Amino acid sequence: MVATRFIGWLRRYEKWFGITAAVLIAVGLYTALVTSSADYYQGEVVRIMYVHVPFVQTAMFSYFTLFICSIWYLWKREAVVDNACHAAAGLSLFFTAGGLITGSIWGKPTWNAWWVWDPRLTSFAILFLTLIGYLMLRTFLDDKEKGATFCAILAIIGFIDLPIIHFSVEWWRSLHQPLSVSTRGISIASDMMIPLTLMSVGVSILFAYMLMVRTQMLYLEHLLEAKQGRLLSEGAL
Amino acid sequence: MNRFYIRWGVLMVVFGVIGFLGLARYNREVRTISPEVLLGQKTDSEVRVMGMIEAATLEGGVDGAPFRFSLSKAGTKVPVVFSGDDADILRELKTIVAIGRWQAEKGEFQAAEIALTPNYGFIASAYLLSLVPLVFFLFYMERRVAMLYVMIKEEKVYQAEV
Repeated sequence: MVATRFIGWLRRYEKWFGITAAVLIAVGLYTALVTSSADYYQGEVVRIMYVHVPFVQTAMFSYFTLFICSIWYLWKREAVVDNACHAAAGLSLFFTAGGLITGSIWGKPTWNAWWVWDPRLTSFAILFLTLIGYLMLRTFLDDKEKGATFCAILAIIGFIDLPIIHFSVEWWRSLHQPLSVSTRGISIASDMMIPLTLMSVGVSILFAYMLMVRTQMLYLEHLLEAKQGRLLSEGAL
Repeated sequence: MNRFYIRWGVLMVVFGVIGFLGLARYNREVRTISPEVLLGQKTDSEVRVMGMIEAATLEGGVDGAPFRFSLSKAGTKVPVVFSGDDADILRELKTIVAIGRWQAEKGEFQAAEIALTPNYGFIASAYLLSLVPLVFFLFYMERRVAMLYVMIKEEKVYQAEV
């Protein structure tokens, strides 16, 4: 009953998230590629920032969502919440991979290296490996309920990496640039801040939309499996 | 499902237009030509020439005197004069972009501005490798959900027992 209500809610509101994300990303891409200026030191290459930073932020935001959903699952034991965890993990892996790829491409012209064992990059790579481990664990365990519990515990333990990623550039000497927006102020020009904000907010809302769609997809696939008799009863969901 | 494909069609058109505008800006403001092409065209309109500052050719810049150097690529050299004060990026053996006009009567390129090499291949790669998989991933998920709702609605899951 809770699942039906939750899925109904997702279906009712998802389009507003989708429309908002599409508008923000369209305007963000226009300002990023057409109207924003090049950086004094980096030149045109700075435009990679408008996809790299939103992808990295969304990867961390999606892992935070996975962390919250995992706690929620361990507390309530609702199968649909486990579907949301599964969906958030898949999306987090996608955005983490995107962040690593775009970061590597940005690193080559600016640092003259595709990869360096820098604290920020290494902690972010650990997030990527944690998510692969999470999804492998989910695949390997036959007992769905036990698998969901183990995965939720792993996601909660893995959350420790998030503050390390965020503060790594403050705690250790790093090749990666320090935080552009912090309590010390904003160290980025306003005509770069506008596309960056539009893209960051747009990709985060897109993640929310994708989470809604993917949660429905996983729920409906399980429902279909149950109805086809592969699961013993809908109660097993 | 028709509305689904129409929605995606509209999205593709919108993002295609943004891509086209980005490409137009690239052609207008970023695209460079080589010294060889410049000498072949000898146009007097403003162009962007990319090449390396030849070793032992950079001189000037003292007491407001213009910088003079030779810009080369693939064996072709162009003498360049740059009068601007923003000369931080001028270094011998460095590849730069000189923006200015060809002075036919003097046989030299008068640069009004010096810029870094655009490295646009990296930008295009980053955008394509992040956004194209995102679009495919989202398209697949949305299509799958739409199909699952149709399957459940049409009760195709209930098969008559034989």
